[in-house]
Amino acid sequence: MMSLEEISQKIQASAKRLLAEGRAEVVIGYRRGTTPLTVAPHFARTAEDCDQLVWSSFAKINLATYLPKYPGKVALVAKGCDARSAVGQVVENQVLRENLYIIGVACNGMVDVERILAGEPRPAFEATEDQATIKLSGEGWITSLAREEVLRRNCRVCVSRTPSATADEVIGDQTEPLSADDFADLKELAGRSPADKLAYFKGLVKECLRCYACRNACPLCYCPVCFVDETRPQWLGKSQDEMDTFTFHVLRAFHCAGRCTSCGACETACPMDIKLREFNRVLESEVQKDWQYTPGLTWDQKPPLTTYRPDDEAEFIK
Amino acid sequence: MAEYIVKENALRAFFQALAQERRLLAPVRVGGKLQMAEARPEEVTLDYGNTHQSPKSAFFPQTERLMAFHKDTAQSDPFVYKPLGLDKITPTVLFGLRPCDAQGLAICDQVFQNDRFTDPYWKTKYESSIKIGLACDQPGPACFCTAVGGSPYGEAGLDALAAVKDAGLALKAITEAGAEFLKKLPGLESGAAESELAERRKAVESKMPGPLDQAKVAAGAILDIFNQPHWKDTADRCLNCGTCTFVCPTCHCFDIQDEQNDKGGVRMRNWDTCMSWLYTVHGTGHNPRPTKTERMRQRFLHKLKYIPLKQNGQSGCIGCGRCVTLCPVNIDIREVAKQMNG
Amino acid sequence: MSQFEPKIVAFFCNWCTYGAADLAGVSRLDYPPNFRVVRLPCTGRLNPKYILEAFKLGADGVWVSGCHPGDCHYISGNYYARRKFVLLHHMLEAIGLEPGRLNFSWISSAEATKFQEVAKDVVEKVRACGPNINFRKAELELGLSEVA
Repeated sequence: MMSLEEISQKIQASAKRLLAEGRAEVVIGYRRGTTPLTVAPHFARTAEDCDQLVWSSFAKINLATYLPKYPGKVALVAKGCDARSAVGQVVENQVLRENLYIIGVACNGMVDVERILAGEPRPAFEATEDQATIKLSGEGWITSLAREEVLRRNCRVCVSRTPSATADEVIGDQTEPLSADDFADLKELAGRSPADKLAYFKGLVKECLRCYACRNACPLCYCPVCFVDETRPQWLGKSQDEMDTFTFHVLRAFHCAGRCTSCGACETACPMDIKLREFNRVLESEVQKDWQYTPGLTWDQKPPLTTYRPDDEAEFIK
Repeated sequence: MAEYIVKENALRAFFQALAQERRLLAPVRVGGKLQMAEARPEEVTLDYGNTHQSPKSAFFPQTERLMAFHKDTAQSDPFVYKPLGLDKITPTVLFGLRPCDAQGLAICDQVFQNDRFTDPYWKTKYESSIKIGLACDQPGPACFCTAVGGSPYGEAGLDALAAVKDAGLALKAITEAGAEFLKKLPGLESGAAESELAERRKAVESKMPGPLDQAKVAAGAILDIFNQPHWKDTADRCLNCGTCTFVCPTCHCFDIQDEQNDKGGVRMRNWDTCMSWLYTVHGTGHNPRPTKTERMRQRFLHKLKYIPLKQNGQSGCIGCGRCVTLCPVNIDIREVAKQMNG
Repeated sequence: MSQFEPKIVAFFCNWCTYGAADLAGVSRLDYPPNFRVVRLPCTGRLNPKYILEAFKLGADGVWVSGCHPGDCHYISGNYYARRKFVLLHHMLEAIGLEPGRLNFSWISSAEATKFQEVAKDVVEKVRACGPNINFRKAELELGLSEVA
């Protein structure tokens, strides 16, 4: 299997070539972060900038977030979900296809940093990694974790780890999906009483600070003015009121219906580690069931809410 | 000042005494995260890096009801706003404040009460509280209090400082109020703590980063720093999400909102964030900070230039590292401070 | 004890159900007075936030009604709306809205009797759900005793 260093070098080489050829003005990728277990998004505009580009298991933010309305030609270092989001943005006319070059990277899933840190109370000053293990070390201790065991939940059910169908080039050995999301927990929940369901979903967002990091990290949230920022009328109160917070989360998820690629950027960005994707999954399961639609896999598909069939079923409508 | 030793087997009694005396806020697990929150004596933990969120909400809650009015015209005072809650302050003792956070509260204190203005909602809570710090022996990878004028054994903003000693505590009073409070606690044994605290302070500080050079920022004109080219680069990757401002112990901006129904109305204040588009948008629709570059720059200028200007050189960043750890795109205030000074 | 009279917010398309309500009135068909109508140009105009806002402000039920599929005044507005309703209906019930609180129907402007039937049915369903407690914003705590 190609090592992380080799992948990084290939990304750097591609980035340099694209800049030199004028195919892109900027290459958006990742560089090493300033603290252990982090990477920072990196905007490479010169060949020297490109030398800092790396590939890592901590690259959990979705870089497609930066694309909409970006003037000029961009090359994007993309794992499967990032590429799907970028495709979605092109389909929704937020990004011009001719301005976009996707450097696809075969992804083995990203690790859940919050979970690693929660399981390790000692302060870790260094983290190293290869394709199979994460090594953490601090003052006088070292521990290693199997990468496979600390994968993010969404990476376990990813359907497109390698964006081979949409990327302009692919780096790394093709990786295959582990398994698709069977929504078993949601099916179980569907059989419970409304009160139980509500308690579960309200419980998820109990600690929400309403910082809207989930919205800002989401590659699909590009509205010029978000409904939470509207003031005339003001749809949501600004206080910590439970229903205002809950309504925000319901509508945030609904705005992503049929578009969400389960990239997990919302959960990654959340400072309170709220399982935001649970709201999206409710819609994802329904979109799959009713319209057999999975977003971001091809350039010519239409998101389900922007189209219709005259014989669409809706038995609940009298 | 008075010095005490709390042995391991006397810890529980010590926390019980604190809780008996006042409402006890201390580091406890809330929903899987360590937070400074109302705690039962048996829940208090001594083994932690720092609380997930800053303790500012003890005095400056995210949503605070300030005043209310009713619409009952049968009474003499309908539609008249009356202050809420000021007469219902429960005296509080905070145990386990990290010295960085105590410094952060002291900075907020200067904002909420100074020679021009006093905020009664802050003042009544802050001044009636006793703040007992817990020195930091295991600073994390994002900790840099020593770089911005603080110390893991710092005393600013604290009434007393404790350190873990043999699974118990070494404790010393710092202010009169602290000494007075500790003196009244039943069962507290005197013992030498001062010299040990001083010694350990040196040991921990030596492991931590040296002072961050901010001489050029301090001497430079605001406009020059304002126009530095590096802002654009940092803004490239900023998501403008506001996480940094919500977890920051010295971010203190708020937004006042009125809500009403058919019976009356409430005026409340809620945390606001300069990362938000809504923060500066005018009634006309004009926004003086139209893009994320201006909004992100504002936060760093406020922390590293404006607060030092107004508070005698005291850095507005106290080095707790929360924004560094929680920023989804790893914008590190230490790097930005260096660029500003560069 | 008198029975619970629910308050229902109804979103009607201008070109059909709104007309049906009119026709029902002119035809002197009795229907329960529990709903307040918001007239929309088309059900396609309905933003999901209107429904949540109605519940948040205390509506016990919401009723959305428009033209039969194929009869949209704007050709395809209600086809798009239908997909939106499928997801919204599924989502709200999946997260704990009681079945029966949120109702949808297609009623043309000629169907006064269908309007009467559905109106009765919607009101009874919402009545059976009881007052909306879970999806409304909490009563504003005035702290009037502190004020007084």
